[in-house]
Amino acid sequence: MTSLDVSPDAARRPFSGRRMHLGDLILQGLAGLAALGSLVLVGLIAWKVIQGSRLALSTFGLPFIWHVAWDPVHNQFGAGSFLFGTVVTSVAALVIATPIAIGIALFLSELAPRGIRGPVTALVETLAAIPSVVIGLWGLLVLAPVLRDDVDPALHSALGFIPLFGKASYGSNVFTAIVVLTIMILPIIASISRELYLGVPPELKEGAIALGTTRWEMIRGVVFPYTRGGVAAAMILGYGRAIGEAIAVALVIGSFTGISANIFKPGNTLAAWIAQNYAGLPSALALSSLIYFALILLVFSILVNLLAQFIVRRSARAQGLTR
Amino acid sequence: MSVLTGRDDHLRRRRFVNRVMELLAWLAAALAVAILGIVIFSVAKKGLSQLNLDLFTKPLQLYGTGPQGLANAFVGSLIIVGIATAMALPVGILIAIYVNEYAHGAVRNSVRLTLDVLAGVPAIVIGFFVFELIVVGHQQSGYAAGFALAVLMLPLVSRSTMEVLALVPDSLREAALGVGAPRWRTTLGVVLPQTIGGVLTGAVLAVARVAGETAPLLFTSSLVASGMQYNPAKPLLTVPLAIYELTDSDNPSDYARAWAGALVLILFILFVSLTARWLATRSRRKIQRAGR
Amino acid sequence: MPRNGKFVRVSLVVAAAAAVAAVAVVTAGAASAKSTAGTVNGAGSTFVAPLVTKWEGPVQSDLGLTLNFNGIGSTGGVAAITNKQVDFGASDAPLTQFNPTCTTCVQLPWALAATGVIYNIPGNQHLKMTGAVLAQIYMGKITKWNAKPIQKLNKGSNLPSTSITVVHRSDGSGTTYNFTDYLSKVSGAWKSGPGLGTSVAWPTGEGEPKSAGVAGAVRTTPGAIGYVDVYYAVHNHLGLMRMQNKAGSFVLPRAAGIKAAAQLDTHPAKDGSLSIVNPPASKKYRGAYPICTYTYVDVQKSSGANAANIKSLLNWAVTKGQSYGPALIFEPLPKAVVTFDKKQIKKIHS
Repeated sequence: MTSLDVSPDAARRPFSGRRMHLGDLILQGLAGLAALGSLVLVGLIAWKVIQGSRLALSTFGLPFIWHVAWDPVHNQFGAGSFLFGTVVTSVAALVIATPIAIGIALFLSELAPRGIRGPVTALVETLAAIPSVVIGLWGLLVLAPVLRDDVDPALHSALGFIPLFGKASYGSNVFTAIVVLTIMILPIIASISRELYLGVPPELKEGAIALGTTRWEMIRGVVFPYTRGGVAAAMILGYGRAIGEAIAVALVIGSFTGISANIFKPGNTLAAWIAQNYAGLPSALALSSLIYFALILLVFSILVNLLAQFIVRRSARAQGLTR
Repeated sequence: MSVLTGRDDHLRRRRFVNRVMELLAWLAAALAVAILGIVIFSVAKKGLSQLNLDLFTKPLQLYGTGPQGLANAFVGSLIIVGIATAMALPVGILIAIYVNEYAHGAVRNSVRLTLDVLAGVPAIVIGFFVFELIVVGHQQSGYAAGFALAVLMLPLVSRSTMEVLALVPDSLREAALGVGAPRWRTTLGVVLPQTIGGVLTGAVLAVARVAGETAPLLFTSSLVASGMQYNPAKPLLTVPLAIYELTDSDNPSDYARAWAGALVLILFILFVSLTARWLATRSRRKIQRAGR
Repeated sequence: MPRNGKFVRVSLVVAAAAAVAAVAVVTAGAASAKSTAGTVNGAGSTFVAPLVTKWEGPVQSDLGLTLNFNGIGSTGGVAAITNKQVDFGASDAPLTQFNPTCTTCVQLPWALAATGVIYNIPGNQHLKMTGAVLAQIYMGKITKWNAKPIQKLNKGSNLPSTSITVVHRSDGSGTTYNFTDYLSKVSGAWKSGPGLGTSVAWPTGEGEPKSAGVAGAVRTTPGAIGYVDVYYAVHNHLGLMRMQNKAGSFVLPRAAGIKAAAQLDTHPAKDGSLSIVNPPASKKYRGAYPICTYTYVDVQKSSGANAANIKSLLNWAVTKGQSYGPALIFEPLPKAVVTFDKKQIKKIHS
């Protein structure tokens, strides 16, 4: 998670113009080296990923990104269906998780009685701490059978006229992956939003109530606009998490390469496919294509990160550097 | 009179909407609690049956017959997370010291940005990166896995250390300098000890985070021996990887073992998170007291 | 020391103790590493994994060697041995299927078994199936169990109207190679479509990793169909299909069916590969199961310090090791194959 640091850059400089000790040199040197090391590390990651995907980049170029194929027999590879799966699952998870997360955050900041506030907050953070492999395990062995036998057929018979809810017979499918991802990003958005809501100056809230608004109107009119940037950043962070999730999705999505409107069919994502093929691939081009996936994920995650930072900075500026 | 009634109706509707929204918020919270409850309950119920002494004393052997457990996974996890912490903690603290005490302006911003970018890189990409960097051409090893986890821990440790360092008031630094202490002595002997609680909290939270990571381990420590293995120069089995591999099984007792592993993992992470929270409250109080 | 001096001191002591413990563990580990000098590590095919893991005990008592095997799929095995991460790689697909492949390896068939078609519908009746219909199922053209083509083959059987849930391998698999080899030979549409390989563009269905994953998925999904080494089918009490061979009989993947198919060719090619898929329609192969396969072990010709151990393991595997096969539905290797293997093993040196 990125720090949503809205405090002003503290430029404390009480140390200017002092005599340098050897110890000072060593500490500053080591610390500087460590900091430089982190820059080098990120550079190395980018370099290795680009280097590994070079073969696929030169063979397929940019059209690889939307080409729908994964055919090692005929050496045809493309990220199309995987990118589709990544986008569908993460966007759907975001859309479902956000209102629930905001509801939880509002509950914990505005509505909960004193006694419940602490334990429920702890519970939400515990949900965030559950490892993805455990959620995946639960998703595969507990959730998927229930969805396959009860929920999916019910949704299909009720809403089957929409192609989204087509025939349902697979337990491991896109819908299961969406539910799993929703559960994973829910606590992230909820805890960040909760902190943001708690940070709204009480005077603003009390002022609105004094004018005769209901609690909901106050939330809508004061809390939401005030925290708009931060909550948007939280959503983007949750989205970033969903994009990069490999293990939990690999366990429940059914690893099928192809584009379908039916969410009850198995699908695939960029990250999950990398996890499925970590052991090896039959050809160098296939391996390079898989690394091309990693490149797409890397670029995606960096963009998402920068976007979240930008939104936070802009909203902080708009509020005149609060807290 | 109609004006009054109109306002009454309007008020009633507003109050109704307010009630509905409050109800929805309650429902959302209830849903979160329910989901967590269901997951933990499933893990506990299914894992409890395999939670016996064998789990902690016998190693895992896929396709094997006879009594089995996850002993080698527990040992492997402890060793690898230990190595990761030993790598990430000093480097993370040093970076935080640099950013907070020495750097300014563009340098400071770029290091912070780098750490944020690093925090956002998916774990599977990091796993692949470490594979390409140190495993290719050599063997998998616990050290490689530890390094991969350290890369994941680094931004977490750095960020939390930076936050606590920033909380230490300048008056403390100035006081130390006033009595003639050199800068490095001030930083290490006066400022840092104030933040030990926060630093440990960050470290412990980072440990909780990577203890459950599977993706980087696929590339660095998955070709493991079937018996007990203590040598970090060889690949070691870890709990999350064991769970992941046990799901690829046709044997229901393998599933039960996976649940048991998941239960132990969750309990460990919970224990570690609670410790972090206790450390955090403790350190916050210390710093507040020191600031006076 | 500042006010929380005691806390700091305690933390430092704990950290020091942890460091000492860590050093102790690592030294112990390094020391114990020397004592496990007689270790052979392998990785690859999950098809052969049950047999190789079965060998671990006897290998320890007969040869004094510790055998470790990681079932990560044939593609993983070939990648591991090509990159010298292990002492041997196990693959059901010949090395020529991979690129890059281990050009410095010897390849030899070291086990013989069949790929069974498993399914999960009530009433284990050992349904009859032809390659053509199977190909249609895997291409998504036949989607229900009571479809006409399946009914025609199984007159009198009560077939449910459940949807067919197609399961295949998601990871690179030699079993997939064997299965698609067969489908390509019996279905022109399959051959020109997905084709033959360790990983293909599946027209439909869900992918599961490893043989155990496929078996597990079929076991827990009503209406599912899949393909695995026959051991997993028997082990899980799953329905196994009787596949029609070229001679017209419907055969179960059992010892008799495998043995009959093995008659097709007992002389491996120079690179060690040997195919017995879809034997022809003569009387000799009337009882042959059409989807049988040899599975290979790949070893670097120059295997360094561990070469002697690897060689004794392999010599044991192709002779005494074969006696552990029948219980797991592996057929012992024909004599001609063993002779070839022994010659291949001689090529391994340090």
